[in-house]
Amino acid sequence: MITDRSSVSLLSISEGNHTSKPTDLVQGTLDLLILRVIALRPMHGWAIAQRIRQMSDDELRVGQGSLYPALHKLEQQGWIEAEWAASENNRRAKYYTLTRAGRKALESETAQWKRLSAAISLVVRRA
Amino acid sequence: MRWAARLRLRLRSLLQRRRVEEELDEELRFHLDRLTDEHVAAGLAPPDARRAALREMGGLDQRKEECRDARGLALLDGIRQDVGYALRGLRKSPGFTTVAAMSLALGIGANTTIFTFVNAVLLTPLPYPASDRLVILREQPRGAEGTVGVHPLNFLEWSARSRSFEALALVQTVPLVVMGAAGAEHLTRAQTTSELFRVFGVGPARGRGFTAEETRPGNHDVVVLGHGFWQRWFGGDPSVLGRRLAVRDGSLLIVGVAPPGLRIGSTEPEAFTPLEIDPAHPDSIGARSFQCYGRLRPGVGVDAARAEMTVIASALARQYPLDEGYGVFLSGLHEYLVREGRPALRLLMAVVATVLVIACVNLAGLLMARGLRRRGELAVRAALGASRGRLAGQLVVESLVLSLLGGAAGLLLAYGATRALVTLSAGALTVGSTAPIRLESTCLAFTLVVATSTALVFGLVPAWQGSRVDPQTALREATRGGTVDRRHHRLRSALVVTEVALAVVLLVGAGLLLRTFSRLVRVDLGFQPADTVTMGLFLGARPAPDRVALVERILDRVEALPGVEAAGTIQFLPLTGPNCGTGFWREGETPADPSRASPTECSLVSRGYFAAMGMPVLDGRPFDRRDRLDGPRVVIVNRSFATRYFPGGRALGRRVLVEWSDPAWAEVVGVVGDVRHGGLTSEPAPTVFLLHAQTPGYVTNLVVRTAGAASARAAAVRQAIRDVDPTQAVSAARTMEQYVGDSLSRSRMYAALVAAFATIAVMLAAIGIYGLIAYVVTQRTHEIGIRLALGASRGDVFRAVFGQGARLTFVGLLLGVGAARGLRGVVSKLLFGITPGDPVSYVVAAAAFAVVAFAAAAVPARRASRVDPTTALRHE
Repeated sequence: MITDRSSVSLLSISEGNHTSKPTDLVQGTLDLLILRVIALRPMHGWAIAQRIRQMSDDELRVGQGSLYPALHKLEQQGWIEAEWAASENNRRAKYYTLTRAGRKALESETAQWKRLSAAISLVVRRA
Repeated sequence: MRWAARLRLRLRSLLQRRRVEEELDEELRFHLDRLTDEHVAAGLAPPDARRAALREMGGLDQRKEECRDARGLALLDGIRQDVGYALRGLRKSPGFTTVAAMSLALGIGANTTIFTFVNAVLLTPLPYPASDRLVILREQPRGAEGTVGVHPLNFLEWSARSRSFEALALVQTVPLVVMGAAGAEHLTRAQTTSELFRVFGVGPARGRGFTAEETRPGNHDVVVLGHGFWQRWFGGDPSVLGRRLAVRDGSLLIVGVAPPGLRIGSTEPEAFTPLEIDPAHPDSIGARSFQCYGRLRPGVGVDAARAEMTVIASALARQYPLDEGYGVFLSGLHEYLVREGRPALRLLMAVVATVLVIACVNLAGLLMARGLRRRGELAVRAALGASRGRLAGQLVVESLVLSLLGGAAGLLLAYGATRALVTLSAGALTVGSTAPIRLESTCLAFTLVVATSTALVFGLVPAWQGSRVDPQTALREATRGGTVDRRHHRLRSALVVTEVALAVVLLVGAGLLLRTFSRLVRVDLGFQPADTVTMGLFLGARPAPDRVALVERILDRVEALPGVEAAGTIQFLPLTGPNCGTGFWREGETPADPSRASPTECSLVSRGYFAAMGMPVLDGRPFDRRDRLDGPRVVIVNRSFATRYFPGGRALGRRVLVEWSDPAWAEVVGVVGDVRHGGLTSEPAPTVFLLHAQTPGYVTNLVVRTAGAASARAAAVRQAIRDVDPTQAVSAARTMEQYVGDSLSRSRMYAALVAAFATIAVMLAAIGIYGLIAYVVTQRTHEIGIRLALGASRGDVFRAVFGQGARLTFVGLLLGVGAARGLRGVVSKLLFGITPGDPVSYVVAAAAFAVVAFAAAAVPARRASRVDPTTALRHE
């Protein structure tokens, strides 16, 4: 009944040909990345994936298997809203926008991420 | 806000599934195309680029499924699966499903039916503005049960002294004879003081009401038409105002039209005319025979008003002997109108709720047995990884499906039952209610709530039990009785005992009500209702001698008809409500202020009345032709009057003066038997009978005793009246037996409904006993086989199995009888002629139940005793 999906790739960090295993940590991070990216302007799924890749200097690649479920989940949570509009190449595409709740969530997630990454780098440096 | 948006999205996912799916498809396809474009740009041929893109996406369907999960559809899909599974499971065991759904349908249908009445009668307010401020006032003889009408004198005093009311109105309903194209017609008419419309908060729909001047003496020939009558006679013509309505002796100026739905008591008058009270002689229009309605000032509660009126009443009682021994009764109008329906509906609500509880308990038992039979299946599912919550959820869904099936069937039953009850005896339940009785949205919501909550009530315990499977032990002993069985058996026994106890309580209640009904049927009314037909005559405002002569001529004519044994008239028929309270003086007393006279009930009758009604003359003689308008005044009193006011001596030959329209000293020429005038259960009151021929009234009822086939002779009687005076209007004929039937209808309906519900309860309890014992037999077939093989006789086996059912029945009976005794107070007010502890009802109920229960236990016990040892042992 309940399928175990823990092996599905969520977000891969490209290190040459080697792809690291995704973790829970990464899952929360994907939400953060999506919120951050569409905070600038409304975007469709493809553009979000491209933008994340571009902004991370080609380091982060979002798998389709995680991007769309994440988008739908965020929509259900009320953090983002979807709207159909014409895309760059004049096709209908689903554009996602940040809601007010999403903006608040972005702030708190960002703060949390900063604390977390600072803590991790502390541990990494001192160990 | 956010919560609402989320709910909207969730619902969208659920309800607009197709649309959401299409959008999902388009979104992913867009991504796939962009990916393909990218590969083409990188130099791949379009088909290869497509393949590469698809590979990269890892299959569109899988992606879609993930998105659906993310949308939270998994849970809904799970429920859908469970519903489908439940439906399949229920279809596979049609016997169980039918019994379960039917018992629920009976329980829920009964509840919805009664709730429909409760909703219309008790929960729907009266259709007037601020109707909670409407009150009714009556007078309350101290030390007696019940209330009587209001005396005009008191109405004037109350109006002058009280501060609680915005408006008070005095009303009397007296028919009005109008002359139409088809001849004379009787209208229901309310004679009222000017404030009536203000009291009800509804101004006349057209024109005006009455002025204060019009309710003082003087010939104010004005009328306000009832809305229904205006529609019927004038087709709702607005120009009717200012025209004149022809009545027998003249015409009335139409000054207004009443709003639709204005009811006085339970009827909507067809006409309203002013009630003219002379402040100097308020009793000139009658005594305690008026209805009084009031509207409380805003902020004044019923209790406060009652307190004020109590003070006023005791002041009046000190001032006027007429008011000695009288208090004031004040009640909210809605409360008062439903006073007789309310306890009935409460009782019936409790009864049907009990039936539903029994149905639920029964089903819980059935579901537990079913769960136990399916323990193997559940264990397999648990072993395959289904969580306990998932299993329990599935069982709850199953009971939910079952209860909704039962609810739907129950709704159908309720629809039929409500309509049947409305036509059969709704009058007894909805006394005074103005709301139509129908299954409306509130009732549907009620059914839904009942159905789902029963599902939770009877589904949770078995679900909890059923889901508590340890795959290992369950699979090992899937077919053998183990510890689970013992626990299960104890619980089910407790459920069956509960059912039995509840059913016995209902059965005892039904017994008490049936006994009450049979007592009422045999109650001594004081008259002989068989073979008498009655019809109302409104004599109108003719001069007194004409009214006397008219009745004399009608009586002569009717008496001469073939098959007529006696004929007479009375102003207000027994069992139909009103009588007139008044005062009287005895010899030696000096008639002074009429309010200082001794109180008595008063009936205005003609010669022949006692014979026509079948009332015995105990002493002296009945009225006859000797008693004339110009002759010496005579009265007749009843036994209660004689014993109360002439204790130890004969009333006959004494002289009394009764306060009436033309008071005079009169000789008591006869004593007649007591009649239960106010109703079957009312105690006879001291009553003096005045003679129509000496103090003629305006309204009367003809009573004709026939030699059988009373209602068939009504036409001949009507023709005889028309022969005497073609302009004389006559109301529809009714037999006294019909009036008696009306009085019995409430009690008959209680008894019938409670007996019907008790029967359902007994059936359900019998199913419960049967189900448990049959289950035990199935479980123990192996053991029974061994016993038989070891030499136990078939009788031993029968006794052992039957004994188990008998024990449960016995415990349930004891508990039920105890509970019924504890609940005596609930029905005591509905009983008549028996005590709530009536041993006959208890013994008969217990015995009847025991017979049914023993039969239910005997069937499986017999089957157990017929077990073939070889088959039973080979079975495993």
